[in-house]
Amino acid sequence: MDTVTLRIKRYDGVKEWYQEYQLPYEKGKTLLYSLTKIREELDPTLTFSAACRHAICGSCAVRVNGNAFLACKTSLDQLLETFETERLTLEPLNNFPVIRDLVVDWEPKLERMKAVRPWLIPSEDGDPSEGFRQSPEDFRKIASPTDCILCGICSSECGQLSLNQEGYLDPFILNKAYRFAVDSRDAAPEEHIRPALEKGLWKCLHCMECVTKCPKEIDLAGENAYLRQASIQMGERDNKGARHAYAFVEDVKSKGRLNEVTLPMKTEGFVSTMNRIPFALRLIRKGKINPLHMPREVEGIEGVRKIYEHAQGVKEP
Amino acid sequence: MRYGFFPGCTLESAAKELMISTKKVAAALGIELVELEGWTCCGASHIQDVDDFLATSINARNIALAEQLDAPLLTVCNTCTLMLRTAKQKLDRNEQLKKRVNQGLAEAGVEYRGTVEITHFLWVLVKDYGLDRLKEKVKRPLEGLKVANFYGCHILRPPQIMGFENPLNPQSMERVAEALGAECVDFDQRLACCGFHAVFPAEKEVMKLTGINCLSSKDAGADCLVTPCPLCQMQLDMYQPDAQRGFDQDITVPILHLPQLVGLALGFEPAELGIGRHIVDAIPLLRKKLVTA
Repeated sequence: MDTVTLRIKRYDGVKEWYQEYQLPYEKGKTLLYSLTKIREELDPTLTFSAACRHAICGSCAVRVNGNAFLACKTSLDQLLETFETERLTLEPLNNFPVIRDLVVDWEPKLERMKAVRPWLIPSEDGDPSEGFRQSPEDFRKIASPTDCILCGICSSECGQLSLNQEGYLDPFILNKAYRFAVDSRDAAPEEHIRPALEKGLWKCLHCMECVTKCPKEIDLAGENAYLRQASIQMGERDNKGARHAYAFVEDVKSKGRLNEVTLPMKTEGFVSTMNRIPFALRLIRKGKINPLHMPREVEGIEGVRKIYEHAQGVKEP
Repeated sequence: MRYGFFPGCTLESAAKELMISTKKVAAALGIELVELEGWTCCGASHIQDVDDFLATSINARNIALAEQLDAPLLTVCNTCTLMLRTAKQKLDRNEQLKKRVNQGLAEAGVEYRGTVEITHFLWVLVKDYGLDRLKEKVKRPLEGLKVANFYGCHILRPPQIMGFENPLNPQSMERVAEALGAECVDFDQRLACCGFHAVFPAEKEVMKLTGINCLSSKDAGADCLVTPCPLCQMQLDMYQPDAQRGFDQDITVPILHLPQLVGLALGFEPAELGIGRHIVDAIPLLRKKLVTA
């Protein structure tokens, strides 16, 4: 391989186009190196943002062949190998307004972030002059979520956000809600969790794009599960997401397996389920569901129930 | 080749055709599937939203059932695979958690030890069975059938737990389809989410996604879409008429389970593989495209 072609999506504030740049192949370089080389040697008008070159400032995220990467942390060789090509397509992050070329606008996102009150609401266990003490164990709870560098990769890749920009919060915003909700020095976890709940917390598609692409490997999906559990503990059980999750919890305890026939009723209630009658008839005609079928208890169901009893008394270490 | 078979809840009702086709195909290939007695629902990516420890515990019990057989645990569902592998990873990396989970399991008379692997039918075909061996079994090459391989999220992501292949550009589905003689089409939504897990709380978005997924495969020239996950299959097939209402363009495309595609190449008739149970009728297409179907 002598040359590498980068096909870059351009935007000058009015029109969009794709422009191709050819670079001599050099082994062991980063994606950011290639972008910098284009700007310095081929086209000074190419606009992208970058600063630290050490995966700390979070400003150089771009999409390559449809997947978001931190340009400074990403090896060009690895990209060429992954996509089995000598030609890569670069675009700005998805789900952000674009300012120019590969540069996106963070202002609206940071405004949105305020919804979850991304600041410490101090407890009375300390005060600003004395400081707030935190045990190593409590610190560990915020160690991973505070790794977030606000690069925007999770927003770009989020399945729900890509379909619904207004009715769902970006994963990094949910991470902020989590980060303060679990902070031992914070006095009001609810004030971080409730706005997330009201802005579509249960709408997450479980696509696992955020956890897969996060350059800091933050367990964003696990944090979402925590936020949902916490919202239930706050008494917020009367919504489709929570009722759906409880349907599984209850069915496994009662029979061991899911009852697909009663699931919509448990999740949506009687009235909405009636709207699903045409859907149900369609399935019955093909034999996909039998409304009279009742799952039998699985072998060992008593043991399953004992596991439930045990779990009730245990908090996961 | 012997596996502890974990069917998952959908195979008992809405996706019964996947139970039928999986058993026939496994038998024809000489893969022994021993259904785990007393398996329970894996939690389907929901139970951890209520109680993480409970989700881990019930899957520890499911895995323990396979350990009693001393056989790797095999599923045909992406989400079951992810849920079981998630539990295994947590238990194998945290002795304290394993101990507490096992205290509960002891009351049920079982023990999680961490001695068996958790795998998926697709991975078994590629890695354990081998594609050369699969090719030898093909009686009716699927020549001329253009398939769009829809992986589904949970067989790829997160790679820290799944780890079978690169989630950014996987090839296992294409390799299997090509071994069966089919032609693979590349399409934008190849690695997309089907939205199934949020179909109740986010119905509007998921219906839109269903339409986008179907259209993407059609625009690429696919005759049908194939998936290794019954939940993707259900979302894309059962809800297709509902999704159509949001689109002017015709989104109709038949959706097959992976074992059905394999079964067709092994010479089974569509009816034997339960293909008549799908909402979007695939049989006219298969009659036209396949030699003796």
